[in-house]
Amino acid sequence: MNRAVRKLIVPGSIVATIVLLVLLAPVLPLADVRGMDIPHRFAPPSGAHWLGQDEFGRDVLARLIWGGRASLFIAVGSALAAAVIGTTLGLLGGYFRGAVEIVTVRASEIVLCLPPLLLALLVVTILGAGTWPLILALTILYTPNYARVIYAATLQVRSLDFVTAQRAMGTHPLLILWRTILPNVMPPLLVQMSLVVASAMVIESGLSFLGLGVVPPTPSWGLMIRAARGAMELAPMLLVWPSLALAGTILTFNLLCDRLQSVLDPRATTAGGALWLRNPRPRTRRAATPVPRQEQAPAPLLDIRGLAISVDGGRQSMGLVENVSLSLQPGETLALVGESGSGKTLTGLAMTGLLPDSLSITGGTADFAPRDGAPIDLCQLDEQGFRALRGNEISMVFQDASAALNPVLRIGDQVAEAIRAHHSPSDADCDAAVVDLLRHVGIPDPERRMRAYPHELSGGQRQRAMIAVAIANNPRLLIADEPTTALDPTIQAQILQLFRKLKDDTPEMGMIFVTHDLAVVAEIADRVTVMYAGQVVEDGPVSEVFARPRHPYTAALIASVPEGGAERLVAIPGTVPTPNAMPPGCRFAPRCGHARPECTLAPPPVDTPAPGRRSRCIRWKEVT
Amino acid sequence: MFDTSPPPLIEAVGLGRNFETRHGLFGQRRDVWAVRDVSLSLARGETVGIVGESGCGKSTLGRMMLGLEAPTTGTVRFDGRDLSDYSGAARRKLARRMQMVFQDPFGSLDPRRSVGAQIADGLKTHSIVPPEAVQAEVTRLIEQVDLPAAAAQRRPHEFSGGQRQRIAVARALATRPDFIVADEPVSALDVSIQAQVVNLLMDLRRDLDLAMLFISHDLHVVRHLCTRIAVMYLGRIVEEGPADQVFGTPAHPYTRALLAATPSLHPRQQAAADRILPGELPSPANPPSGCPFRTRCPIAEDACAASVPAYRDMAPGWRSACIKPGPAAGGPR
Repeated sequence: MNRAVRKLIVPGSIVATIVLLVLLAPVLPLADVRGMDIPHRFAPPSGAHWLGQDEFGRDVLARLIWGGRASLFIAVGSALAAAVIGTTLGLLGGYFRGAVEIVTVRASEIVLCLPPLLLALLVVTILGAGTWPLILALTILYTPNYARVIYAATLQVRSLDFVTAQRAMGTHPLLILWRTILPNVMPPLLVQMSLVVASAMVIESGLSFLGLGVVPPTPSWGLMIRAARGAMELAPMLLVWPSLALAGTILTFNLLCDRLQSVLDPRATTAGGALWLRNPRPRTRRAATPVPRQEQAPAPLLDIRGLAISVDGGRQSMGLVENVSLSLQPGETLALVGESGSGKTLTGLAMTGLLPDSLSITGGTADFAPRDGAPIDLCQLDEQGFRALRGNEISMVFQDASAALNPVLRIGDQVAEAIRAHHSPSDADCDAAVVDLLRHVGIPDPERRMRAYPHELSGGQRQRAMIAVAIANNPRLLIADEPTTALDPTIQAQILQLFRKLKDDTPEMGMIFVTHDLAVVAEIADRVTVMYAGQVVEDGPVSEVFARPRHPYTAALIASVPEGGAERLVAIPGTVPTPNAMPPGCRFAPRCGHARPECTLAPPPVDTPAPGRRSRCIRWKEVT
Repeated sequence: MFDTSPPPLIEAVGLGRNFETRHGLFGQRRDVWAVRDVSLSLARGETVGIVGESGCGKSTLGRMMLGLEAPTTGTVRFDGRDLSDYSGAARRKLARRMQMVFQDPFGSLDPRRSVGAQIADGLKTHSIVPPEAVQAEVTRLIEQVDLPAAAAQRRPHEFSGGQRQRIAVARALATRPDFIVADEPVSALDVSIQAQVVNLLMDLRRDLDLAMLFISHDLHVVRHLCTRIAVMYLGRIVEEGPADQVFGTPAHPYTRALLAATPSLHPRQQAAADRILPGELPSPANPPSGCPFRTRCPIAEDACAASVPAYRDMAPGWRSACIKPGPAAGGPR
C-alpha cells in the first residue's frame, strides 16, 4: 500500500462508520424514535439512554442515528445528483462552447438568480414537504454550482496539448470528455462536492428547522436542533449532540475529499506543508567575516572554491552542487554552461544569497572583492550582508522578464526602486538617472516608456528593462541566468549585443552568464565553465575549449549542436543522473563513449591539461 | 505552383486565419490575421521546415494543415480532397492519417493515464490492430522510439523531458499516419537530448516515408532535418525553397537577417552591429502596408510600401516575396 492510499484510511474509516451506523439503524437495538416518555423529559444520560432523553422523553441516541439517516441521505443524495447533472452540463458546455454552452451552463445559471431559500420553498410548496421534494430542491439548487466550476475547469483543460492530441487522433468527442477531460477536472469537482455536501446538510437542517423538510416526528438533525433550541437553558446538551454530529460529519467529508484529491493526482508529492514548516532549523550562517587574502596580481573579482549546495532533506541531505571552483577577473565574462540539473543556476543563485529555502550552502568559500574593503566570503554571508550587496555590488538578470518584473508597477518606478534601495537621490535626480538607464539599455523614447507597465512592453523591451534594473547601481558582478533563452533569434541578437555593449562600457564589471546554449557562449563569453551533474567538468578560455575540448562531455555537447554538415547528430545517450542516484566514480561515465571500468571506481580528480584549463577526466590525454 | 513530381500529399492553397477581436466601448471589430495567403504543399517522404519568430503564425498554420483549426480563407487538400468536405465520423477517420507532436513534453501527455494506455488510444479508436494484439503493438511502438517496454505501465511524470517527447512521437505513430505536424518538438529539450529526438525523427521519416511539417525557430535544427524550408514573417511566407538554397544563398532580406542573428559556435568575424536587425515584429493587428518586413528591412525603399510583393521564382521550387530578391552584395554570407 502506498503512502497516498494510507492517507485515506482515517477519513475513509470514519465515513464508513457513519454510513454503516445510519444504514444499520433499523437492525440496531435502538429505542423507538417516536416512543415518548413524558415523565422523563430532559433526563440526563443513563444506562438505558446513553445520550439522555429529549423534550418528549425520546431517546436522543436513537434519534441522532435515525436523524443522520435522513440528513445524510438528503445531503449526499442531492450532492451526488447535482454533481452528475452539473458535471455533465459543465463538460458539454465547456468543451463544445457555442450553442451547447447556452443551453447547458448558461441555462442552469438562471437558477442562480433565484434566492436559494425561495427556490427551496417554491419546490416544497408545489410538491409538499418531505424527503424527496427536499432532495429535488437541493439538486436544482446546487446543479449550477457544479456546472460553473466544471465549465471553468473544462475550458482550462480543453486547450491543453494532450486534449488536442486526442482530437488530432480522431477520438470521438464524448470519449474525449469521459476519458481525458473528466479525470483532469476531478480535483475541482471533489472540492465542490465536499462544499456542497456540507452546505446541503446545513440547508436541510435549516429547512427542516423551518418545518419544510423532514416531517416530524421523523427525526433529522435539523429538526433536533430546532427542538433543542427551545429548551436551550434547560438542557444545553440536547443542542450539542446534533450540532456535533452535523459538524463532525461535514468536517470528515471535507477531509475525505481533500485526501481523495491528492490520491488521484499522480504527481502529488506526499510530503506536504509550507516550506517554513518543513524547515524548522534556522539557517546557521555566521555573519560576514572578512577573509584575509595574500596579495596576488591580478586579484579575482570572485573566487569560488569547493562550493557545495545541498537539499535539507528530512532523513539525509542530498548534494546538488559539489566541489565547484571557479574564478572571475574584473571585466571578464564567464559562461556557466550545462544541461538542466547540472547545478549552473543554483551556483548563480548562491552567489546572490537567493537560494530557495530548502537548499543551503554546505561547504566551500566564495570570496567576492567589493568596491572597497576586504574580500567578503559569500558562503558565510547572512541575509543582511547580502542585502547590502544585492542590486548594488552584485546584480542578477533572470530568464523570464515578464515574471521577474512586477506587473502592477511602472517600469520607471521599478528602476527607481533599485536605485533607492542603495542611494537616496532627489526625485528629479532619480528620474534623470532612470531615463539615462533606460536609454542606455536601448529602450526607445525612455521619457515616455518609463511610465509604461511591463505588459505594455514587448518581450525584448521587458528584458532590457530588467537589465536596466540590474545595472542601476553599476554592479561589480552581474549574474545573468539564461537571459536570452526565451527570446526570438533577432531579439536574442539584440540583447546579446546589449550585453556586449555593457561589457565595453563598464570594463570593471565581471559577468557570469548562465546558459545551456553553446552558441551563445561562443558569442559572448571569454571563459567557459562546463558543469555536469553538479560538478565542474571542464574549464578554460572559450576559444580553446571549443577548438579542443578536454573532456568527453564537452566534446559530445559540442558535437550534438546541429551546426555544420554532419549527416547524423551526435546524441549523448541516456539522461542526466538524478541527485539521489549519482553514479559512483565519474558522473558522466554511464553516458560516456570512452568510459572504462576504472572510470566507475573513484571520482576523477581535476587535472590541468594546459595553463588556465581544467578537466575532470582521467582519460583526457587519450580521448581528446 | 510546383510541377515537380511526386504529387503533393497535402496542399494548402491561399490559407488565411483571422482572429477577430473586439475593441473599445462599442466593440468595434478589428481583424488580426495570424496567417495570410499561405500556399504550401508536401509530398510523401518530404520534411518541410517552417521557420519564423513567435507571432509569425507558424503554429496556427500547422494546426490548420492538420484540420484542428478552420481556416478563414483558403483550403487544405489532403490526398486531393478538401478537408472541409469531411465531417463527423469521416473526419475522425481521416485523423488516423494525420498526427501531431507538440512542443511541451510536459503538457502533451495526460498526467493521469499510463503511457501505454495513451499510445493504445489511437490503436483502439481506428482498430489498427485486433484488440488482442494491442499490447504487443504498444510494446513495438515504445521500442521503436528506444524506450524499454516496461515504460508502458508508468505515468508520464516518471519520465524526463526527452523521454516524454519520444512517448509523444510513439503516440503519434500509433495510427500509422502519412503526415505529421511537429510543432517545436525539440525546443524545450536540452542540447544532448535534442539530438536524440532529431535523430529519431530522421530515422522515422526514412523508415516510414512520412510527410512532416517541422515547425521551429531553431534554424540549425531545421537545416539539419528538412528538405525544404518556408520562412514566415507576420503571417506570410516570405521565402520558400530547398534547404540548401534558402540557407546557402538566402533571397529574402529577412531570411538573411534571421540567419545572421542566430548565434553560432563559430561567431563570424564581422562587426556585430551590422547583422543585428533593428526593432521588433509589428503587431498583426496593425501590419505595415505593402511588404510586412519593410519596417525593419535594411534595404527597404518607397516601392516596398506600395503593395505586398508577389513571389518571384529564384529557381524551380524556390520563391521569394521581395522586390529585390537575391543574395545581397556584401551580405553576411
